Amino acid sequence: MNEPSEPPPFLGTWKRVYTVVLIYVALLISALYVFSVVTAP
Amino acid sequence: MKPLDWVVMFGWLTFLVSYGLWRGRKSGTVNDYLLAGRTMPWYAMGLSIMATQASAITFISTTGQSYVDGMRFVQFYFGLPVAMVILSATAVPIFHRAKVYTAYEYLENRFDAKTRALVSGIFLIQRGLAAGLALYAPAVVLSVILGWSDQTTTILMGSLVVIYTTTGGIKAITWADVQQMAVIFVALILALFMAIHLMPREVSFLDAVTLAGAFGKLKAVDTHFDWNNRYNIWSGLIGGMFLALAYFGCDQSQVQRYLTGKSVAQSRLSLLFNAVAKIPMQFFILFIGAMVFVLFMFVKPPVIFHPVEMERAAQSAEFKPVEDRYNAAFEARKQAAQRYLDADHRGKTSPADLEVLRSTQRAFDAARQDGAKLVDKARGSNGFNDTNYIFLSFVTNYLPVGVVGLIIAVIFSAAMSAVSGEINSLATVTVIDVYKRHFRKSGTDRHYLWASRIATAFWGVYAVIFAGRGGGFGALIEAVNMIGSLFYGGMLGVFVLAFFFPKVGANGAFFGVIAGEAAIFAANHYTSISFLWYNVIGCLVVLATGVVISKFAVSAK
Repeated sequence: MNEPSEPPPFLGTWKRVYTVVLIYVALLISALYVFSVVTAP
Repeated sequence: MKPLDWVVMFGWLTFLVSYGLWRGRKSGTVNDYLLAGRTMPWYAMGLSIMATQASAITFISTTGQSYVDGMRFVQFYFGLPVAMVILSATAVPIFHRAKVYTAYEYLENRFDAKTRALVSGIFLIQRGLAAGLALYAPAVVLSVILGWSDQTTTILMGSLVVIYTTTGGIKAITWADVQQMAVIFVALILALFMAIHLMPREVSFLDAVTLAGAFGKLKAVDTHFDWNNRYNIWSGLIGGMFLALAYFGCDQSQVQRYLTGKSVAQSRLSLLFNAVAKIPMQFFILFIGAMVFVLFMFVKPPVIFHPVEMERAAQSAEFKPVEDRYNAAFEARKQAAQRYLDADHRGKTSPADLEVLRSTQRAFDAARQDGAKLVDKARGSNGFNDTNYIFLSFVTNYLPVGVVGLIIAVIFSAAMSAVSGEINSLATVTVIDVYKRHFRKSGTDRHYLWASRIATAFWGVYAVIFAGRGGGFGALIEAVNMIGSLFYGGMLGVFVLAFFFPKVGANGAFFGVIAGEAAIFAANHYTSISFLWYNVIGCLVVLATGVVISKFAVSAK
């Protein structure tokens, strides 16, 4: 993957931004799973 | 609706159209009209992408789906953020570098004219069907709620869309979408607040969550794998990712949004904004449906949510016994819910309590089903379904004056937002990939600008006419996704070939798409595999066919 000339406005590189987004999604799905389990009778 | 609601509704629609016209007033070139001069900031593109996706169907159908089926539909969006990351890293810089107006223009650069023609043709068919449905779905529901004819609602929405889209192009659409998303967020928060606020004093928010959970309405994640189960974590992550890759990577209605970005970075940020915000937003909308379900355990809803059918059924001699059974079932369920909460407060709920509660729900559902049968009998139909009227029944009957007008206006403008994006992209493909490519290659910029305006107006009128013939679809949101899934697998496959398989040539791509589409239609016709898997099947068949044909061609040479 070619690193573009314009860096992201935060975290320095796009690779780091993508990693943070994917970690966020993994945590979000985990939270929804916990929510499903906790609210089940 | 009260006079204040009408004022709010028409005031908002007038503002929206005027604002769009004002923002798009300087679209004097084709580049301005179709790509906003490539000047858009990330937040405008991001909100516009979200607004185009969050059509009126999202409010009408998703909330109803959650009311009936729980929150498992949220899994459909699990693969979307992954797709956004992949597209940010691949498609966005490739399309920006190629300086194309449409995604299909790139296919001619990479393969040949016939592949571009095939894929742009598939897009025109698929998106043309969806544009009509995006207008039809809310028009039918709103016409029932407002007491207007289908034609009036369709023509009102269609005319407003055509006015600002034809005049201001994508700049008008994008900035109008930004305003719409702001109001959509406000309306959603108000709807949830009111659903919770209207519950009896003794039922707290946590009690509402307990009851919704007891009925399985809050089960957002299902880890059990099943090919035929439409929504589980695996179909959401894999099938949903393929669908999102195809939708955001190959569908001109979305690609055109991020082609308007003033840089690769701005376009990437717009997609990543959606990656972060989409799941929470869908969760929120579904949660509203679950809370409306709990509210209707304590506040009696109509036997039938469709107001016209309810009125008609009430005139039948058979309605009274059905209504009596329904009232008794409602009271039994209400008391069972109260007893369950009392036991929960004491920390002593048992499986037996839960079974009692659920049995009252089954009796309640059966009574409602009897009401639906009366409607079927009166209409001579089969399987009457009023899911799409649940949320609007809640809005019109229980929300305060002014808020009703706001939410109806939001649903109107959400429909307009989706349709405007679709007709704009249809016009772009018609002019760039068909008219300019095959009929008039050397016109002036002014000529193509007017051709784009005429094409936009044409597709707007087409959507209105198609909307009049849109009956016969089931749950609306699934119908839209289903249409997409029949075509997206083939489109995605050819773009994956273009990006990642440099040795695959034009014939491999062309026949790969045909084979992929054939596989999808076969899966749809001969199997019961959930439609979310069609994108995966279609894409893989395109890849396999493209690679094999290209290898065969090389060997033959």
